[in-house]
Amino acid sequence: MDTDPDLIDEAFYNELKEHYSTEEIVELGAFIGFNIGYHTWFGTLGFYPMFTPDGRLVDQEESARIYGDKPISHTKGAMQRATENNSDEAAE
Amino acid sequence: MAIIDPIPVDQLDPEKFQTRLELAQELMVPDTLFIQIMAHAPGYGEALFDAMYQSHALGNVDHTLKEIIRVRLARLAKDDYFGALRSKKAQELGLTEARIEAGCGDFAADNQFSDAEKWALNYAKLMYTEPKKVNAEFYDLGKTFFSEPEIMELGAFIAFHYGLQIFMRTLKVLPLDAA
Repeated sequence: MDTDPDLIDEAFYNELKEHYSTEEIVELGAFIGFNIGYHTWFGTLGFYPMFTPDGRLVDQEESARIYGDKPISHTKGAMQRATENNSDEAAE
Repeated sequence: MAIIDPIPVDQLDPEKFQTRLELAQELMVPDTLFIQIMAHAPGYGEALFDAMYQSHALGNVDHTLKEIIRVRLARLAKDDYFGALRSKKAQELGLTEARIEAGCGDFAADNQFSDAEKWALNYAKLMYTEPKKVNAEFYDLGKTFFSEPEIMELGAFIAFHYGLQIFMRTLKVLPLDAA
């Protein structure tokens, strides 16, 4: 839906109906559309999550350091950066 | 045959939908078809219509400006449904098709739009084509024209409507009047 919506045609929906009810398809479609719209907008606002992957409340500056400047898997650095920082604070 | 069959209006719970159906017929963006489709998912018909109505018909930002933005976004999303709908309220406020066309075109060079309107139209234009240009500097300029609550109103409106236009595009439906 986000990258090639032309591929989501009647045949695609017919296949989807083999796995999901109409209720679930509407739920999924609206959810995906909503997220396509909001993720891009929120990206322009420059906000970062309030919590680290391991659940610590951090300020925006530290959150930016942990999560980086583009969305990636938490396992690709964010977990490590959050844990390292937490260990440093505990040592102090 | 429709990809998703709309629920007949007489099968919608009047307690949940009567007022919303009336509002939809009054504004026409969205029309009742949107509710009839979204109502398949429990709670979605109500929540999504309310958010759509709140973000478009209410708020502090000029409704006619938001209507131009909405049509511009629908064309970007290639959504025939939302692209064909027109707000009755905006028409009553004097919005013409010529002004909508101007807003969907080269608005930056068009003197009928104020600098504030040009910023808002550019906000919508850049959001899904060049979002990296919507940066702190861009927002600083926006704050010379709009309050922060108004910028949040515009941003949420743009994000919400564009997202649902992308979904509606895939369903290949048309407004009830044009179907």
